[in-house]
Amino acid sequence: MNRFLVVFLSLFVSSVFAYIDEYVNLGEQASSIKLSGKVFHKNPSIIRKMHPEFLRHKRDKTLRQGIRTNEYSLKGCVSCHANKNKINNQYYSVDKKGQFCSDCHKKVGVSFDCFSCHRTVPREDLL
Amino acid sequence: MSNIRFEQIEGKSLGFYTLIIGLGILILAALGSVYYVEHYGHFVTGMNNRIVWGMPHVFALFLIVAASGALNLASIYSVFNKKLYKPLSRLSGLVALSLLAGGLMVLVLDLGRIDRLIVAMTEYNFKSIFAWNIILYNGFFVVVAIYLWMMFERRMNKFSHKVGLVAFSWRLILTTGTGSIFGFLVARQAYDAVIMAPMFVIMSFSFGLASFILILMASYKWTNRPLGDIIVNRLRNLLGVFVAAVMYFVAVYHLGNLYLAENTGIENFILFDGGIYTKLFWYGQIILGGIVPIGLIYHPITKGDRSMLGLSSVLIIIGGFVQLYVIIIGGQAYPMELFPGKEVLEGYGDIAQYLVSLPEIFLGIGGIALAMIIVTFLVKFLAFLPESLEDDLADSYHKG
Amino acid sequence: MNKTLNRRDFIKIMNATTGVAIVASGITLTTFASVSEIPVTNKKRWGLLINTNKLTETDIDGMINACKQEQGWGTEIHSTASQKPAWIKKLKVKDKATNKVSSLALMCQHCEEPPCVDVCPTNASMKREDGIVLVDKHLCIGCRYCMMACPYDARSFVHETLNNQKEHMPRGKGTVEACTMCVHKVDKDETPACVESVNSEAVIFGNLYDESSQINRTLRVIQSSQIRADLNLNTGVRYSGI
Ligand code: SF4
Ligand code: SF4
Repeated sequence: MNRFLVVFLSLFVSSVFAYIDEYVNLGEQASSIKLSGKVFHKNPSIIRKMHPEFLRHKRDKTLRQGIRTNEYSLKGCVSCHANKNKINNQYYSVDKKGQFCSDCHKKVGVSFDCFSCHRTVPREDLL
Repeated sequence: MSNIRFEQIEGKSLGFYTLIIGLGILILAALGSVYYVEHYGHFVTGMNNRIVWGMPHVFALFLIVAASGALNLASIYSVFNKKLYKPLSRLSGLVALSLLAGGLMVLVLDLGRIDRLIVAMTEYNFKSIFAWNIILYNGFFVVVAIYLWMMFERRMNKFSHKVGLVAFSWRLILTTGTGSIFGFLVARQAYDAVIMAPMFVIMSFSFGLASFILILMASYKWTNRPLGDIIVNRLRNLLGVFVAAVMYFVAVYHLGNLYLAENTGIENFILFDGGIYTKLFWYGQIILGGIVPIGLIYHPITKGDRSMLGLSSVLIIIGGFVQLYVIIIGGQAYPMELFPGKEVLEGYGDIAQYLVSLPEIFLGIGGIALAMIIVTFLVKFLAFLPESLEDDLADSYHKG
Repeated sequence: MNKTLNRRDFIKIMNATTGVAIVASGITLTTFASVSEIPVTNKKRWGLLINTNKLTETDIDGMINACKQEQGWGTEIHSTASQKPAWIKKLKVKDKATNKVSSLALMCQHCEEPPCVDVCPTNASMKREDGIVLVDKHLCIGCRYCMMACPYDARSFVHETLNNQKEHMPRGKGTVEACTMCVHKVDKDETPACVESVNSEAVIFGNLYDESSQINRTLRVIQSSQIRADLNLNTGVRYSGI
């Protein structure tokens, strides 16, 4: 049983790593940051693996204690990783097919539930 | 004593399969409506922000309340040592478990976020009577399952009395807990009464026994097993007492409320001018679910007639549903008293409207079907039913 | 609450050992006016005082609209009138003795002893240290027990799928919601939207405990009341003139 778990977990983790650089659809702002050579996430693989924990931790602090920093804020993720439809200049929802969040989650086969409540595109005045 | 022979039913007849298929269809219909409601949201139901608990909760509460009541026969045997009920105790445990499963299914599948069931199982607010009920329900499954095991396993038989006592106390606490879901709602005039909890206990006796009698008579009839008059008459008398007790509690509850000045509004609503709720209360709950069954049970002409006992059980169950409907929906429909001494002209204070929708009803019926299908399957695979409940046998248990 | 602590410790360790952090060098993300980094405490208790003698019906309509605008509710398309959320509503009450009619705005009263929090099975309904009562929609299972328990009919259930929510106000089908006292603004030292929308002094917002605050000073000199004071919930929203 334990061995099975180990195998399963390593498969799971490696599947997260598997998509490190093939990933193209980073999102509007994130891509331009990357192009400019700047570093936003010092260690992307940690973010890749741990972002659910970070977000969950942040959500409890914000909601229950009123701590409103932009570190690990979901708003931050969305505003950087959203893509724009070039034709009508509207953002695509990050949880829609082919977009940053949903694409990766689909590849690793993990469902996510943020966007049944959270806004899926950057704030209005950023449009 | 040990000569009661429990035996599985054969379960190969056309009737058996038709029953299974029919119940299966009902369960599928329920699952279909759940998918529909969850997909679109609760706007497709009749529930709204004033009637937040609707038909599913009527069904769920009925089944949960009846579940704990159905365990009574086993308790009478093992706690009060009435041997006559020994042959019935296994079935009694089984009916209890399946009714509870059906009720919980309905309750859970009506949640706004069914996908978060795991949250309900892991995050407990110990101040919440609801959270306690989750624990009580889960515990009931465990306790009754152990109890059944003690009864089935010969070498464990000696413990069955003790476990029976645990199960009995557990079921009393469980029903009290269920009643307290309402009793704790201090702001709602309809529910703010201490008597709510004991009333639920008595209701459970009556609804549970009525369900049990129907299941017992049906299974003996369909399997052509003999069912003697002694047991049936005992159950009939018990049922009569329980129904009368429910009526008594209902009377005390309403009279008490009438004399409590702050609750006269809701009382007048339910008893006199509540439109549909008043009608349901008098015609459904009191006459159909109370007076008529008592008449059928005690009147010399209908007394000995088994189909009349069946009819009374059906009426009691219908009356039970109506009673819960009046309590749950009627209690919400009547507005809360926001400004004592003042009249709310606008914005709040009207009688809330509720139009039950089909998916809600399907879901509720699915819960009943689930309970029935569990009973049907298990009596086929395990020896729940005594091969015979003939009078002379029953008599000998009685004496032995 | 234990769980949160564990998580926090966990993250701390993560931070220390791996140095995961957002490096915001040269990148302008969303910038916040003022950022609250310290947990709120029970040294404060936020409250509202609504003076029904000064509050006109137009004021109330304005408050409702401001709330809708700010929080994004009220645009549901499928829900019926009684299924639509109503975080704040307009009530007219008549005193049976004097026949005086007053209009008032009714929203979540941010009770100090909130029945909604007591009954919630999953701790989703919760009260912040500073007295603001919220629903943690991550934990809400949509059982609606809190709606049964609230004496003020203050809560709404989301009956349909939503999208294009406000960034600061996640809302979603199958969960319960209510007035948040514009907590996202309060945390930035701003005033709730409904209060801002009223031009007169009819609605005052502030820290009930702070003796120099306008709300505290006013409450000390005028006659005020809590709705259903008999329930002893010690509400954060107070009324005068009724
Ligand atoms: S007014 Fe209702 S929703 Fe608000 S805190 Fe009180 S009980 Fe909870
Ligand atoms: S609906 Fe949500 S917030 Fe309300 S009691 Fe249930 S879980 Fe708690």
